[in-house]
Amino acid sequence: MKVRNDYLPDLVRIVAMTDETVDLRTLRLVFEDPSLRDRFSFLPGQFGQYSVFGVGEAVFTIASSPTRKGYIECSFKLMGKVTTALRDLEVGDLIGFRGPYGNGFPVETLKGRDLLIIGGGVGMAPLKSLIEFCLDNRRDFGEVTILNGARTVADLLYKKEMEEWGQQEGVRVIQTVDPGGETPEWRGKVGLIPNVLNELAPKPDGKFVVVCGPPIMIKFSLQVLDRLGFSPDRVITTMENKMKCGLGKCGRCNIGPVYVCKDGPVFTAADLARLPRDY
Amino acid sequence: MKIWTLQKKRVGDWMAALRAAGKEVLAPCEADGLLRFRPIDDPSAIAVRPGPCPFPFKEWLFPPHQVLFSYQFEGGKVNLREEEVLVNDQVGLFLRPCDAAAIKILDTVFLSDPPDGFYQLRRSHLTIVTLGCRQAVPSCFCPAVGLSPTSLEGSDLFLWEEDDRFLVYGVSEKGDRLVQVSPDLFEPGEGPEPDQLPSPLPFMERKEPLTNVGQKLQGLFESDLWQEVGRTCLGCGICAYLCPTCHCFDIVDESDAYSGIRCRNWDCCAFPLFTLHASGHNPRPDQPSRYRQRVLHKFAYFLQTFQQNMCVGCGRCSLFCPVGMDIYQIVLQLTGRCLV
Amino acid sequence: MAAVRTDSERTEKGWEPKLIAFVCNWCTYAGADAAGTRRMLYSPCVRIIRFPCTGRIDPHFIVRAFEQGADGVLVSGCHPGDCHYVSGNLLARRRFAIFKALMDFLGLEPERLSFSWVSATEAGKWVEVVNSRVEALRKLGPARVPWGTLSGPPPSLNGRSVAPMPQEPLSQVKPDDYQAVESQLRQLAEGLLATGQVKAVLGYGKGSLQQATPIVITNATEANQLIFNEHCVQNLTVYLTSPSFRSLRPLGVVVKACDSKSLVGLLQEDQVKREDFRAIAVSCPGVKVNGRWADKCLSCDQRIGPIADHIVGSSEPKSTAGADPRDWEIQTIEKWAPAERWNFWMNQFSRCIRCYACRAVCPLCYCQPCIADKNRPQWIPTSPHLKGNVSWNLFRALHLAGRCIGCDECTRVCPVGIRLDLINRRLSLEVAKRFGYEPGKDPSVPPPLATYRPNDPGEFIL
Ligand SMILES: Cc1cc2nc3c(=O)[nH]c(=O)nc-3n(C[C@H](O)[C@H](O)[C@H](O)COP(=O)(O)OP(=O)(O)OC[C@H]3O[C@@H](n4cnc5c(N)ncnc54)[C@H](O)[C@@H]3O)c2cc1C
Ligand code: SF4
Ligand code: SF4
Ligand code: SF4
Ligand code: SF4
Ligand code: SF4
Ligand code: FES
Repeated sequence: MKVRNDYLPDLVRIVAMTDETVDLRTLRLVFEDPSLRDRFSFLPGQFGQYSVFGVGEAVFTIASSPTRKGYIECSFKLMGKVTTALRDLEVGDLIGFRGPYGNGFPVETLKGRDLLIIGGGVGMAPLKSLIEFCLDNRRDFGEVTILNGARTVADLLYKKEMEEWGQQEGVRVIQTVDPGGETPEWRGKVGLIPNVLNELAPKPDGKFVVVCGPPIMIKFSLQVLDRLGFSPDRVITTMENKMKCGLGKCGRCNIGPVYVCKDGPVFTAADLARLPRDY
Repeated sequence: MKIWTLQKKRVGDWMAALRAAGKEVLAPCEADGLLRFRPIDDPSAIAVRPGPCPFPFKEWLFPPHQVLFSYQFEGGKVNLREEEVLVNDQVGLFLRPCDAAAIKILDTVFLSDPPDGFYQLRRSHLTIVTLGCRQAVPSCFCPAVGLSPTSLEGSDLFLWEEDDRFLVYGVSEKGDRLVQVSPDLFEPGEGPEPDQLPSPLPFMERKEPLTNVGQKLQGLFESDLWQEVGRTCLGCGICAYLCPTCHCFDIVDESDAYSGIRCRNWDCCAFPLFTLHASGHNPRPDQPSRYRQRVLHKFAYFLQTFQQNMCVGCGRCSLFCPVGMDIYQIVLQLTGRCLV
Repeated sequence: MAAVRTDSERTEKGWEPKLIAFVCNWCTYAGADAAGTRRMLYSPCVRIIRFPCTGRIDPHFIVRAFEQGADGVLVSGCHPGDCHYVSGNLLARRRFAIFKALMDFLGLEPERLSFSWVSATEAGKWVEVVNSRVEALRKLGPARVPWGTLSGPPPSLNGRSVAPMPQEPLSQVKPDDYQAVESQLRQLAEGLLATGQVKAVLGYGKGSLQQATPIVITNATEANQLIFNEHCVQNLTVYLTSPSFRSLRPLGVVVKACDSKSLVGLLQEDQVKREDFRAIAVSCPGVKVNGRWADKCLSCDQRIGPIADHIVGSSEPKSTAGADPRDWEIQTIEKWAPAERWNFWMNQFSRCIRCYACRAVCPLCYCQPCIADKNRPQWIPTSPHLKGNVSWNLFRALHLAGRCIGCDECTRVCPVGIRLDLINRRLSLEVAKRFGYEPGKDPSVPPPLATYRPNDPGEFIL
């Protein structure tokens, strides 16, 4: 007998790929099932399980915005087994997708607010979805400030998008690279994100902040934001724990009683403060 | 609650009737020195010892290896094939009360939203016939987690041994239906309420309550005590694999050039790989932090999410741990009630 | 294993044996090439896979070949003395001798796994070897598909009671024998801790259910928690490589005679530094598992093992040593036909649930990461199905060959009762016979499979 099977992925075809950096690639994916192309909906910040058949599954955020129908995107960094196999695929190849999973960003709460969006490295992926969502619903949101950092100029993601976003009204893009990562032509900032944040010293003024990136960057950025007077329930971040099922069953992504795959990956700094340090 | 009596010597007839009605009977039996629930035809193969059967019943609801789906590669295409699951109606015979209660815990996990189709199908075909414990073994601590040698939690029928017969308590409709399969074997009977049966409860030693320790344990998250209690844990998977309530799993692909499967296999929070990120970061870097997860999941986190402990006090983990980590004692020790 | 390819070639009438040949580039490959250029005819059933050297041909590859449907495997390389990397083939000879002994013991028909030396000039020999192997495979028919199929109930080893069992001379052992050791041990530990010679003592304490459990003592006043009795079965040296014990160095570790041998292994393999531990050797009359004397104790003739910094109790050899009952079991298995043996072991392995407790308790399974945890490539299927289990149990047996010191911890803890001890012991006997080597004796000699002698026996090589 056939049973309800949430593990069965839908087939998606790679229709385009962009190499963001040496080890980071963005894939544009289209569902094989035409009905899914329109039907599939999600929230910025939600993620999926992507299958390379014969190899396995890996979790990536959906990097495109739900406002842009017909395709989804993901940006993945070359890490281990699945990401290596994914790197070997070409435009036209089929992979599997199941999702969307997780809670996503609280876009309803963010409506009408000024946003400060801080991203480091591949942490920009969920933020790209959020930014595009805001820009596509421009009137719903206030000023958008984007602070994007990477180790070196070559490691910066979404270069083209950043340029486009920066030209829009009410959007400010600030880019920074770690000291030593700059090139002679570099006109952005030089310094670690938390330091740059400290220097910019944004005022809370009812703003919401969304921070994504490597754990260490998140940690120090949260400290700076706290010092700058941002209320922890207005600081939003995402967690990354190892995952398998995405359904709250397999038992590995928990931080205390909370399953990151179901109850997360988006948490406020206030949520995190209540959880054990198991991440 | 309906009560019947069943002569012990008629158990074989009942099993035959159940089989004739298309049901598979799973009971603890011994093969090659290993006690395990297996489909059996012959009541003489049944091996019931005091205490729970070492290998828990959960393998029949949540098998160690479950193919989720398979696929074939064809040119540039992938053909996915859903896995079909075949199950007969099954009767789990002679589970212990703790085992039956454990199935209710698995239900909370696998039947809560989104329900797991594989589990759901097997579960809906299963009827649980529990045998109350006339005798406990030293590792048992069901009273400490709010159960007892006569608790009915999770059972469909509850049997109690009395000389040459069983008292049969109908706990659920599903259970009653098993009786109806051969009504002439069951005589209407009388008996005390199950909690009034002469159970070994008064003589059991391990009953210091572990039911309300969640907050306290979670408060110890950063404590050095975990180093002390968890240092000798070897990180083998025995405790989780033999635990009737542990349910963690891994998902992997196995394939060759032509085809493959995606499957889920038992996994365990004591393994270093369990939480290891691709980046090399491991939120639980050592055995003590993994052991902490085990204790907290069972006595704190699960309690918070599902309002019950994730331990039924069967004592298997403590009995079969290669280095004698006894979860009962350890929780007592952590909560400051150390008896040794 | 629903979707693993069922190879239709095997079931159809026109079945032809599939022989996979792993050959070295310099000699055998050149020999095969020469056969080709001279237009010598040989069986097309062979598939040649070229390696730089037989030294690079890992038994894993062979297991893989069988897993994927080979009917037979042939490994061939340069004659001794001709290896282009000097000794690759000599190391390989040792490894393959052990691998072959293992596969024989498990019941693989000997003809399915062959080895040969074929030089660049021996085109004729190559043709002959290949043809004779293919003929042998043709006679045997297809290998049991897939590698590890169960066929009916296994033969039983339950005849142990009718076997010429050694009497249990250990019954002479008295509780006093342990008590004296226990009190001296406490004194010693107290002294070592008080004088700071060790940071902690790892020994046995009273367990709440099991009667002995490992405990760590850091304070001299706690020394009276240490116990020593017939229940002290665990091999505590497993903790020496554990990161959670690093901060406790130098660590005093209580060892029985058998456990002490694993210290030799750890030193041999550079896993511990001599100054990181002090071996507190307790004079051991024997220990019990499930109420019976442990099998290993029946033949143990020592009270104190090879590494002992402090000796507690008598170091006189024991007068109680008898035969090891496993030897009778091994002989029984070896009397069975290959198919029966195979059936026995496949039934054993089919039970494995991949808890890896065997690895966790093994003092010599310290690898980080273990081969079973590597996923690029995935050498061992992680699923607890027969194929994965056979791979896992084969690889672990091979990795422990010549290194296993026979503490039997893996067998004690295996929750499904797989007789790992028989495999380990069988390979130990092979290592002793072939290389005159006994594990756990001398930390200054290399493990047997990490070395070779030019004149190692190679009778199994064509
Ligand atoms: C909510 C979430 C969103 C993520 N979004 C992105 C993203 O947009 N882009 C990106 O590059 N990476 C993202 N990651 C990290 C990404 O999932 C891992 O880098 C990836 O799984 C590595 O897979 P691998 O097979 O190459 O590595 P291996 O080390 O070979 O891992 C084997 C398996 O372990 C699991 N695993 C290992 N590390 C992780 C991890 N950090 N998180 C979850 N599962 C893991 C996967 O199941 C993986 O298949 C995200 C992780 C999470 C939890
Ligand atoms: S059985 Fe014991 S040693 Fe093994 S993981 Fe569990 S607690 Fe640790
Ligand atoms: S944690 Fe231990 S005692 Fe509790 S249910 Fe699991 S195996 Fe039984
Ligand atoms: S996290 Fe650990 S304790 Fe909890 S179910 Fe999984 S294996 Fe069991
Ligand atoms: S099985 Fe082999 S690789 Fe794994 S730990 Fe043991 S010796 Fe090392
Ligand atoms: S202990 Fe036994 S069941 Fe566990 S992995 Fe080893 S052989 Fe398999
Ligand atoms: S990924 Fe399985 S529970 Fe979260």
